[in-house]
Amino acid sequence: MTIERLADLLANTNPGFFILAAALLLPFARDVASRAILMVGGPLVALIALISAEGLSINLQTVQFLGLELVLYRPDSLSFVFGLAFIIASALVGVYSLHRRDALQDSTAMLYAGAAITAVFVGDLISLFIAWELTAIASVFQILAPRGPESVRAAVRYLVFQIGSGMLVLAGICMYVAATGDTQFALIAPSQAGLPVGVMDINAPGAVLILAGFGIKAAFPMVHNWLQDSYPRASETGAVVLSAFTTKLAVYALARYFAGLEWLIWIGAVMTVFPVFFAVIENDLRKVLAYSLNNQVGFMVCAVGIGTQLAVNGAAAHAFAHIMYKALLFMSMGAVLYRTGTTKASELGGLHRTMPWTTLFCLIGAASISALPLFSGFVAKSMVMSASHADPALFVVWIALLFASAGVLEHSGIKIPYFCFFSHDSGKRPQEAPFNMLLAMGAAAALCILVGLSPGWLYQFLPYQEAAMEYLATDLWTAGHVLQQFQLLVFAALAFMLLQWRRWYPAEKPGLIIDVEWFWRRGWPVMARAVGKRVGKAGRVVSGAIGAVGGSAQLAARQVFGPEGWVAANVPLSATAVLSLAILGVVLAFSLFA
Amino acid sequence: MSEEKEPVLGEPGEHPLSVFLFSWMRTPLFKIVVTWSLVVIGAALIGLEMLLAFRPIKDVTYAPGFQGVFGFVAFAFAVLSGWPLGKMLRRPEGYYDKRSGEAGRDD
Repeated sequence: MTIERLADLLANTNPGFFILAAALLLPFARDVASRAILMVGGPLVALIALISAEGLSINLQTVQFLGLELVLYRPDSLSFVFGLAFIIASALVGVYSLHRRDALQDSTAMLYAGAAITAVFVGDLISLFIAWELTAIASVFQILAPRGPESVRAAVRYLVFQIGSGMLVLAGICMYVAATGDTQFALIAPSQAGLPVGVMDINAPGAVLILAGFGIKAAFPMVHNWLQDSYPRASETGAVVLSAFTTKLAVYALARYFAGLEWLIWIGAVMTVFPVFFAVIENDLRKVLAYSLNNQVGFMVCAVGIGTQLAVNGAAAHAFAHIMYKALLFMSMGAVLYRTGTTKASELGGLHRTMPWTTLFCLIGAASISALPLFSGFVAKSMVMSASHADPALFVVWIALLFASAGVLEHSGIKIPYFCFFSHDSGKRPQEAPFNMLLAMGAAAALCILVGLSPGWLYQFLPYQEAAMEYLATDLWTAGHVLQQFQLLVFAALAFMLLQWRRWYPAEKPGLIIDVEWFWRRGWPVMARAVGKRVGKAGRVVSGAIGAVGGSAQLAARQVFGPEGWVAANVPLSATAVLSLAILGVVLAFSLFA
Repeated sequence: MSEEKEPVLGEPGEHPLSVFLFSWMRTPLFKIVVTWSLVVIGAALIGLEMLLAFRPIKDVTYAPGFQGVFGFVAFAFAVLSGWPLGKMLRRPEGYYDKRSGEAGRDD
């Protein structure tokens, strides 16, 4: 292959494909060096491909499928920043995982990252759905990785939500495409300043289903619990991988298709507030981070809902910064889990004595997520806050976000580092984290500081670059803005000191905090039994009245479909599977082409 | 000849970086110093806001120190809500480990 052809390949291929290729090769990598080459080299090649993309906002790679043109690669300024963050995160995860030898987990983590990167760069709904489903399937292996019965059960619950999300998106896409014939977002509707964001009208056929599918993946309120249920059960590396991609892919999809949708402002505001209360009483620090993730994604969803150039920039910048600092915080908790076997706050404390590097990196992550000026969270979250403050009609939303900002300091800024590394001495003296973990944490911490000190570096990649640069020049570093943010944090920290001093801060207690998952893990069986009893009674009454008709129908149905009926007789499993697929295919084809 | 013990910073086995960065936090005066420092810094921030970024007061959110007071109250409210919420929502570890046939027996 000549240099020109190689350059052409890099410039016109979806960067996610390079990581997918690395993922497929990983099971054959036997030694650390070859694993390192694939796990870091894959993202590196993807980064080179992204930088050398032949152009923005044009279709660079297309393929014909069932008479539709699938756009496999269409980078633009919205997908660029998400893709860049995903590629950096996949490289960090690669380095962070090097101490471990688990081909399945490594390979599926890369597959997951590759699918997420592919998803942000495709240009049509069908390709988005395929990559969307691949992220769901690949990510479940991160939860299965510890291989305990708890993990298996959590993985099944996780899969139900992720596949449910995919089914809703698929149903919505079928309805939408059948009604409009459009699959490519660039052709659906141009949006602000020529950039296709918020392209889908919520009143269009299937749009509500697509929104619901995206919402499950973004962990909207009431369907958020898959996140707290699954992430803390993943391995020390699995939680880092999970934190980086799933919800941020949903934020990207929401921005692409539903930016400016008012519902999202309120959904996002609720998302920022309610996790604060759960995080205060949660004992498992990785679960605290999972609630914190909900809260942070809420800021992004809210910004997407506001939909102005500043707000969309804020959502994208916040997603980028959040991927880095949340990965850093999950990495530090992962290191603690790896060395001590637990992340329960009631069993930890005083670890800074022997894990000072991990402590230091965790503190940098905590400062970043708390939006301390000169750290990445400040330069990203500021845009969301300013966008909400700019509209007087959103006063309540702004107050909610302000409350959530104080809440973030509580659960991620103080609680995580304090109860893990300081607080009472647990007597544990674990070894410092392995070198590769420290290296990954160090790189993530450096990015948090780099973005905080030099926000122009991040702002140049934002969807609306001019608006971002104007914000940087006129608003970000104004005395009022910086002083007010410092005030919020300093006085909140003062509240913490006083509450601790007076012993009014609730002690970390072992236990499990119930959330909406109660309804399907405990409430559903109770309800099913109660309903079953009544249905049984009603059934007996009804069957008495129409017993003859019912009995005949039941008998006939049993003869046809029962275990010994003719439908079940001599039909091999493979034929059943093929038949099921055929039926699904017919339904899909009918929906797509009707 | 008696050997004089050299004063040791930190604890035996403690990482040198921990001694350098964090050992001062274990001094008895730490809480008092930090608390009063926060009070002083907070007051200074409000003073600086009045001096450098004073705005005509349209509503309470424009008042100097609003974000500080809001941060204090919001943080305290979030933390103190943990007492009733903990009582209401905390269950024993393994609460969900009971199989579905045992649902409803929450004691």
